Amino acid sequence: MIFEVFRQEKRKDYHVHVGNVHAPDREMAQLFAQVMHARRKPAHSLWVVPKEEITEVDSDDEGIAMGGLTQKQYRWATNYNTDETFAQEIEDSQREQEVAERGREEAAEGN
Amino acid sequence: MDLEEVKARAGPREFGPTDDMPEEYRKAATRMIQFHANSEIMGAYIERPFIRQAPSLDRKLAVSAQVQDEIGHGQLLYRAAENLGIKTREQMLDELANGQGKFLNCFHYPLDDWYELPMIMFFVDGAAMRRQATLKRTSWEPYAHAIDKICFEEGFHIKHGEDILKELGTGTRRDQERLQQAFEKWWPRILQFFGPTDDKSTHNDFSTAVGLKTMSNDALRTAFLNVYLPKAEKYGLEIPDSPRVEFNEETERYEVEEDDLDWDEFMQIARNEYPQGKGQIAKRHRTQEAVEWVRETIENPRTAPSAAD
Repeated sequence: MIFEVFRQEKRKDYHVHVGNVHAPDREMAQLFAQVMHARRKPAHSLWVVPKEEITEVDSDDEGIAMGGLTQKQYRWATNYNTDETFAQEIEDSQREQEVAERGREEAAEGN
Repeated sequence: MDLEEVKARAGPREFGPTDDMPEEYRKAATRMIQFHANSEIMGAYIERPFIRQAPSLDRKLAVSAQVQDEIGHGQLLYRAAENLGIKTREQMLDELANGQGKFLNCFHYPLDDWYELPMIMFFVDGAAMRRQATLKRTSWEPYAHAIDKICFEEGFHIKHGEDILKELGTGTRRDQERLQQAFEKWWPRILQFFGPTDDKSTHNDFSTAVGLKTMSNDALRTAFLNVYLPKAEKYGLEIPDSPRVEFNEETERYEVEEDDLDWDEFMQIARNEYPQGKGQIAKRHRTQEAVEWVRETIENPRTAPSAAD
């Protein structure tokens, strides 16, 4: 059986997919996940999930649109020419949206 | 985990679904997150009519995107609340439709015209954003995760609201006059957003002690006024003489003259008994019933009504 592994580096971090392991059962899968993905890298927690339990939405599939690749500038903070520096939380949101915007540009260029 | 341990450990994102949390904590967190989720939904209902009434196509698109975001935030938050094991999502939606669910005072008042929209989209959402930013450090981790996504999206809402405010505040004299009227009507409600002063707040102490809340009402109100008062003035709005708001140099806090505000109305709203608010709740109730068949179909595909041949 194949088990997908999600690693949480430090307490309070999000769990991030790091790969998978091949194991006969859950218990062995946990052990292998630990050896493969947390032996030399710091980890606080691992989620180990049977591969067949995971359902995927694939952007290459027909009729799937994700990540806002259509032109919808109006729904981003970056579209509005008002001051975002007056409140820290507005500025933070703007910076996060700028990062997302660069990601969309790269995706559109097919990188 | 007992309550003493919770209080000793309380800190940002300290507790999650794998922790065995005492019932008092789970109830307090449920009350707080359910209130937040309800407010997102009811806020969307307040803004929705302006998708149709928007003065331009750009505004129409942006308002509809905002309403869509708010409903999404509600969904995220109901999930975060459900994780606490006190109430199911269905229960919370039913409570909202039946008038038992509590939500922000500002969303009990319908908006009468386009000039009032920035009162919600800039001032009220701005106040909410101030509060939400402090909740990135709440002790219930699923709540903090929902807040991460909400804050990411929310910047667009506030900036779009400010863009409308700027357009009207620098528009014709009639625009400016009507904007000022809208501001005077909404100003007391905006001040009441953060509830009564700390000494009169009921749930404050416990929520703070267990790290659910990271900033008091008074501190939040001050943080809000610090950045939003100059904004109002920048766009030519005059701060009304009443309710009186004074900056206290000693405490470095803005002090609002409580007696200038209508707390009877506030309490009536808090009990979901304000007539116009009841109208808003009734709207939600009707929609909830109207789409019952969709939920039914999702749950039991076999009993779904089949299309006419």
